[in-house]
Amino acid sequence: MRGLIVKHAWKAICAVILGLGLYAVVVRFTQGLGASTNLSDEFPWGLWIGFDVLVGVGLAAGGFVVAASVHIFRITRYEEITRPTILTAFLGYVLVIVALMFDLGRPYRIWHPLVMGNPHSVMFEVAMCVMLYTTVLALEFSPLVFAKLKMRAPQRVIQAIYTPLVIVGVLLSTLHQSSLGTLYVIVPDKLYPLWYSPLLPLFFFLSAVAGGLAMVIFESFMSARAFGKRLEQDLLEGLARVIVVVLAVLFVWRMTDLHGRGSFGLMFEPTGESVMLWGELLLGVALPMVMFMIPRVRRSQGGLFFGALLTIMGFILYRLNVAITGIARSSGVNYIPSWMEFAITAAIVALGFILFGVAAKHLDVFPAEAAPKPSPFPSHPTTVPTPRYAGRGLLALWGILLLGFLVFGFTTRRNNSHADAAATASGVVSGSFTPATAVPALRDDMKLATGEDSPGVVLFNHSSHVDGVNPTCVPCHAGTFRITPEGARKFKGEDFHGAEACGRCHDGKTSFNIDDDCEACHTP
Amino acid sequence: MRAGFLVDLSKCVGCGACTLACQEINGLPVQASPPKLSDTTFTMISTQNQVHIKRQCMHCLEPACVSVCPVGALQKTELGPVIYEEGRCIGCRYCMLACPFGIPKYEWENPLPKVQKCTMCFHKRVSKGLEPACTSVCPSGALKFGDRDALIREATTRIEANPGTYVDHIFGVKEAGGTSVLYISPVPFAALGFRVDVEEDSYPKLTWAVLSKVPSIVGIGSVLLVGIHWVISRRMMMERMEHEAAEHRRESTTRGGDRS
Repeated sequence: MRGLIVKHAWKAICAVILGLGLYAVVVRFTQGLGASTNLSDEFPWGLWIGFDVLVGVGLAAGGFVVAASVHIFRITRYEEITRPTILTAFLGYVLVIVALMFDLGRPYRIWHPLVMGNPHSVMFEVAMCVMLYTTVLALEFSPLVFAKLKMRAPQRVIQAIYTPLVIVGVLLSTLHQSSLGTLYVIVPDKLYPLWYSPLLPLFFFLSAVAGGLAMVIFESFMSARAFGKRLEQDLLEGLARVIVVVLAVLFVWRMTDLHGRGSFGLMFEPTGESVMLWGELLLGVALPMVMFMIPRVRRSQGGLFFGALLTIMGFILYRLNVAITGIARSSGVNYIPSWMEFAITAAIVALGFILFGVAAKHLDVFPAEAAPKPSPFPSHPTTVPTPRYAGRGLLALWGILLLGFLVFGFTTRRNNSHADAAATASGVVSGSFTPATAVPALRDDMKLATGEDSPGVVLFNHSSHVDGVNPTCVPCHAGTFRITPEGARKFKGEDFHGAEACGRCHDGKTSFNIDDDCEACHTP
Repeated sequence: MRAGFLVDLSKCVGCGACTLACQEINGLPVQASPPKLSDTTFTMISTQNQVHIKRQCMHCLEPACVSVCPVGALQKTELGPVIYEEGRCIGCRYCMLACPFGIPKYEWENPLPKVQKCTMCFHKRVSKGLEPACTSVCPSGALKFGDRDALIREATTRIEANPGTYVDHIFGVKEAGGTSVLYISPVPFAALGFRVDVEEDSYPKLTWAVLSKVPSIVGIGSVLLVGIHWVISRRMMMERMEHEAAEHRRESTTRGGDRS
C-alpha cells in the first residue's frame, strides 16, 4: 500500500515537472529567450549550457570508460554493467541535444556545423564529436533493440565491428570531454583565475572520468532499487578505487596549476569565488576521495552510494563554477537562473529517468543473473534498501551548497561596488581636459527644393542652427532631417513648413513661427 | 588596403551625428542618445570624465568571435570589417562569450534571434569603396576612415605634434592582437572604461594551441588503443591456450595412468 502511494507520488511529481517544463518551452518559442531566461548580453551562457550541456555530457562519460575497460583493456568482469551504462550515456547525449534545442536561438539549424564547419572553432569540434559519438552510442546499444526485434543480421554486423566502434567512441569522447573545457580557454579575462587555466581541457577530461564513473555507481543503486536487480557491489567497489586515483591526480594537478599561475593566494581571500572553490574541492573531491580510500567505507553500501553522490556533486559544482560562478564577476551582473530555466532543466532530468525506465522495461538492459558469481561480500538481499543516511546527508550537503551560493551572491555584490568605487577614485583626471566644441566640418549652405508658389529660395545654413557651446546634431537629425543619403526623405515646398520638418522648431516657441516672417528664410 | 578608422577622443564633441547615421543606414529605431550598445544600437556615445567616447565593434585583426563561431557566420573580410551572415547563425552565443570587448548583442525578445553588431557598413558602403556612415557624417574631425597603417602613422604624428594633448598610447595597435578601429585620447584609457586588461596577443591563438593537437591525438590515440587491445587480447589468448594445454597434459597423464 505504502509502495503504491510512493509510486503514484513519484508519477505526480514527474507530471508536474514535465508540465512546468512544457509551459517554459512554449514561452521560450513564443516570446524568446529574454522572456523565458535571465540571460542577457552580459551573461549569454547560463544554466542550460552550464548544467544541461556541460554536466550532461560529463556525467555520461561512464559510457566510454566502461566500454574501454571491457573491450580494450579486456577487464571482462565489468561486462555485467556495460548495458545500463551505455544506455545511461546514450540517453545523456540525447538529452543534451534536446536541451540545446531550447538554448540555441535557431534550433532548426543545429545541422549547420556539419556543412558550414569552421575548423578553428572549439564549438565546431564539440558539435561534430557529440554528433558522431551519439551515433556510436546508438550503435553500441542497438544489439539490445535488434535482439528485441529478433533481427539477427544487423546484430551480427554490430558484433563484428564492436571493438573498432569502442575505439572510435573512446577517441571521440576524449576529444569532446576535454574540448568542453577548451571552450573557456578563449576567455582569460572573463573567467575568474581560480578556474581559468590553459589546462582546462585536461581538468575537464579527468573530472568527467571521475564523475562518469560515480554516475555508474549511482545508476546501479537506482536500478537495484527500482527494478529489484542485483547490486554488483564488488564491481562498483573497483570503480570507486579508480575514482580515488583520478580525483587524486585531478586535485594535485589543479593545485600545482593554481600555484604555477600565481593564483594560489586567491583561494584564501574572502571572496564568494574562494568559498565556491573550497566547496568544490573539499566536498566534491577531497571528501569522496578519502571516503573511497577507506576499505570499510568503500565496501559498505551507504559509503559507496554517498561517496559516488559526493563525487557527482563535486563534478556538477566544478562545471557550474566554470560556467556561472567564474564568469559572474567580469560580467558585472548577478545572474540567477529564472524559474523557467530551472523548469526546463528539471524536465529534462525527469525525462532521462522516464526514458531509462521505459528502456529497462522493454529491453534486456540487465543481463540475466543466471549463475550468481562468488562474491567477497556476504550475501546481499535482491532489493537494496536506500542507504539509510544518504537522504539526510544529501539534504545537509545541499544546505551547505546553498549557503555557499548565498555567501557568493552577497560577496560578489559587495566586491562589484568596491571595484566601481576604486575605478572612479583612481581614474578621474579632472580639470586636465576641456572637451572640444569645435565643429569645423559642417556642410555648406544648402539650397532647399522650393514649391511652385514659393516666395523665394531658401538657403539653409548649418552654422546658424548649431549651438556653438554645446553642439548637437540630434534635435534636427533624429528622424526628421536624415543625415545619410541612404536614409534621406524628400521634402519639397510646403512640406518644410510642417511639424515633420522646419515647423517642428519654428513654431513660435522654440524659435520664431514659420508663418510670421517669410523673408527670414526665403530670399526673393 | 586594410580599412579601419581612427577615433580622436580629444576632438569628439558628442553631437550624436554618428549614432544617428548608424541608425539610419541599418534601419534601426531612432534613439537620440541610446544608453548602451544593444541589438538595436550598434554605436553610441558615452561620456566619462568629460570625454565623449564613441563605442562600437573594434573589428579585431584576428577576432575571437570569428574563430569561435562553429558555422562561420562571423567573418573577417579582406577589407577589414568583421561581418555577420545571418543565414548561417545557429544562435549559440559563443561569440558573445568570447568577444573580449563584449560587442555582439542578441535579440532576446525574438523567438528566433539573431546576433547584432556593427559591420563597419561593409555591404552598403565599404565594399563599394565608400566610407562607413558614422565616419562620413562626423563634423568635428573626431572620426577618420582610411588605411589602418596610414591611420597609425597619422595618430603617431598627432600625438607627437601636440605635446600634452594626448596620452602616449594608440588603443588598438596591439590590443587583442590589433584592431581595425584605433583610438587616441587626452585621458588614460583606463579612466574611460576601455578594456585595458585585454591580452596583447590574439585570442584565437589560445584555443588554436589546443585545437591544433586534435589530429595528433586522434592518430596517436587510435594506434595506442588498438595496440593495447592487441597486446591484452593476445596475452589472454596465450593464457587460455596454456591453460588448455595444461588441462590436456593432465588429462593425458591421468589417462596414461589408467592404462598402466
